Amino acid sequence: MAKLRKPTAVTAMALAGALLLASCGSSGGGAGDGRTLRLWHYEAPNSAMGIAWNQAVAEFKKSHPGVKVEFEAKGFEQIQKTASMVLNSDGAPDVMEYNKGNATAGLLARQGLLTDLTPEVTKYGWDKLLSPSVSTTSRYSAQGIMGSGNWYGVPNYGEYAMVYYNKDLFASNGVKVPTTPEEFTAALAAFKAKGITPLADSGAEYPAQQYLYQLALSKADRAWVDAFELYKGKADFHDAAWTYAADTFADWVSKGYIAKTSSGAKAEDAGVSFISGRSPMFFSGSWWFGRFKDENKFAWGTFLWPGSKLTPGSGGNLWVVPKNAKNKQLAYDFIDITMKKGVQNALGNNGGIPVAADPSAITDPQSKALIGDFTTVSGADGLAFYPDWPVPGFYDVLVSAVQKLITGSAKPDDVLDQLQKAYDAGIPR
Amino acid sequence: MTAAKRFPALALIVLGAAFMVLPLLIVLDNALKSPADYSAHGPLSLPHGIHLDSLKDFWNRVDFGRVLLNSVLISGSVAVAGTALSVLNAYAIGIGKVSGRSWVLGFFVLANVLPQEALVYPLYYLAKQAGLYDTRLSLVIVFTVIQAAFGTYLLSSVLASFPREVIEAARIDGANSWQVLWRIVVPVSRPTLGVLLVFFFVWTWNEFLLPLVMLPSNDNQTVSVALGVLQGQRLMDATMTNAAGLLGALPAIAFFLLFQRTLTRGIAVGAVR
Repeated sequence: MAKLRKPTAVTAMALAGALLLASCGSSGGGAGDGRTLRLWHYEAPNSAMGIAWNQAVAEFKKSHPGVKVEFEAKGFEQIQKTASMVLNSDGAPDVMEYNKGNATAGLLARQGLLTDLTPEVTKYGWDKLLSPSVSTTSRYSAQGIMGSGNWYGVPNYGEYAMVYYNKDLFASNGVKVPTTPEEFTAALAAFKAKGITPLADSGAEYPAQQYLYQLALSKADRAWVDAFELYKGKADFHDAAWTYAADTFADWVSKGYIAKTSSGAKAEDAGVSFISGRSPMFFSGSWWFGRFKDENKFAWGTFLWPGSKLTPGSGGNLWVVPKNAKNKQLAYDFIDITMKKGVQNALGNNGGIPVAADPSAITDPQSKALIGDFTTVSGADGLAFYPDWPVPGFYDVLVSAVQKLITGSAKPDDVLDQLQKAYDAGIPR
Repeated sequence: MTAAKRFPALALIVLGAAFMVLPLLIVLDNALKSPADYSAHGPLSLPHGIHLDSLKDFWNRVDFGRVLLNSVLISGSVAVAGTALSVLNAYAIGIGKVSGRSWVLGFFVLANVLPQEALVYPLYYLAKQAGLYDTRLSLVIVFTVIQAAFGTYLLSSVLASFPREVIEAARIDGANSWQVLWRIVVPVSRPTLGVLLVFFFVWTWNEFLLPLVMLPSNDNQTVSVALGVLQGQRLMDATMTNAAGLLGALPAIAFFLLFQRTLTRGIAVGAVR
């Protein structure tokens, strides 16, 4: 027995030693010799951004012969959770995509982990390509609050929310595509009369709160948004806009325009109910556009929320250059390529929203309409950001509040009280 | 026992097994669908034609072969080193009966119940100071210690009831401490050690938070972290997520089937004692 066991033990020991040795290999960041660009982003390779940025890498390699591009595809969660640690080490990349907002890019800027891009922004003229409501998310004050101060990031695409509608369902039910708020409610009622729930919704994730926010925005102006999002004034959740939003939302649920069963639904469920042709309308962001283009088996179109000058939306995620980046000049060159017409047009032709494309180069009519609406909104200073931005943890408060409106377990007035309390407790003083 | 008596128990076991297998079957079902098929017919329909692109795309996107190797390397090292460390500790505590052993054991239990979230920042700074940040070795060290804490606790109580006569007999025959451990204690408790080895491997395999934090570069990533790459900001790719889930679960299932006998033997030995 002992004789038999010995070889096994020796093998096990040898194996353990080999494994330990093999796992010693270190990775280490590239050196600052201007010969490698380390790039991280978290967009899917078949998304508009993924395709356009791939093209940017190719163009970069052409204009920088001999420079190696080390691209690493990351997950959104991974970057969110570990950014402050990675950026504080010598493993930081030269340029990476990062989520815009006070709690994300603003926090890193305040911690001194990002390079101040203000000189490059004026040198390359990026500020001239971005409208004011798009560039709001690029600039952060010393307290990490967006809207003013130095530039810490540059977005090369935009996003906004709109109503996606199923043209076939509108035609077969004899419903007219609405252009005014009255026509919009009339269309909702017409679908309901035919036994169809008109609006796809998801109470467990962001879609429901965007309905609520859009309803409020339809009764609001820029000063209201600045007060709510940028703390320039007092946000009162019992003002006319929020009251209208909560009352109307509750009313639509009781009339069956929004299904009671949507309280637990995920955004994915709402999207799939539109793709499968069950829901005639879905109000959500431009990030769905590419997928609807690939998978919708019916004629469809988009329109802005009727009668509203403001719409949820903003500049896209930012290119940021970490403080510890080793090849900053290469990073600036790369960002500049993504702002040029070639990459911008590629974004537009693949279902993304470029910030500086050549309108005549966008050939697909649906994409033309998508980009045209964005230009209208951002040109009229109509991007109103997202409702969960002002306060850390507000997203979850909004989810629970809107779920109460859907299930009817609380009155609109009580729901607004809940929002006011969480907002007041969370805003920076 | 008659068949009639056995039937309810059997039905319950079959039901339980079905519950365990069902999620895996749904993952398999959706991994083989095309995205359009998924959107049109929902997650519970059977696939209309086999579509292997999701699996292939995911494999290439995260360089799955490399990720797999990383996970095997890390989990394998931890399983072997963790078990070895547990045996040495437990030998001292359970058989050697060092003084203050209840305090030492209490300390190990404490280390075991500490939430990993609390360890993240200290470990990050330590690893950075030691120059081990973003190396697989850092994870091997951390998890060897974490797993060995549990292993020590478990093995100590097992070895405390080790028959003293056997050890005394060996002593009389002139064996020293090292020989007692290597020739007597380890061979006798081999089934238990096998179970520990398997558990350490699977537990380390499934770890997410610490690998996520300690291994930022893709070259060093583990399987569980690579699965997270698909979690988009606002969208999810359902079919590819399922494909990734399938690829992530297969090695663990294969490992389990491989070592199933070790596991059942270890549990049976425990039952007799």
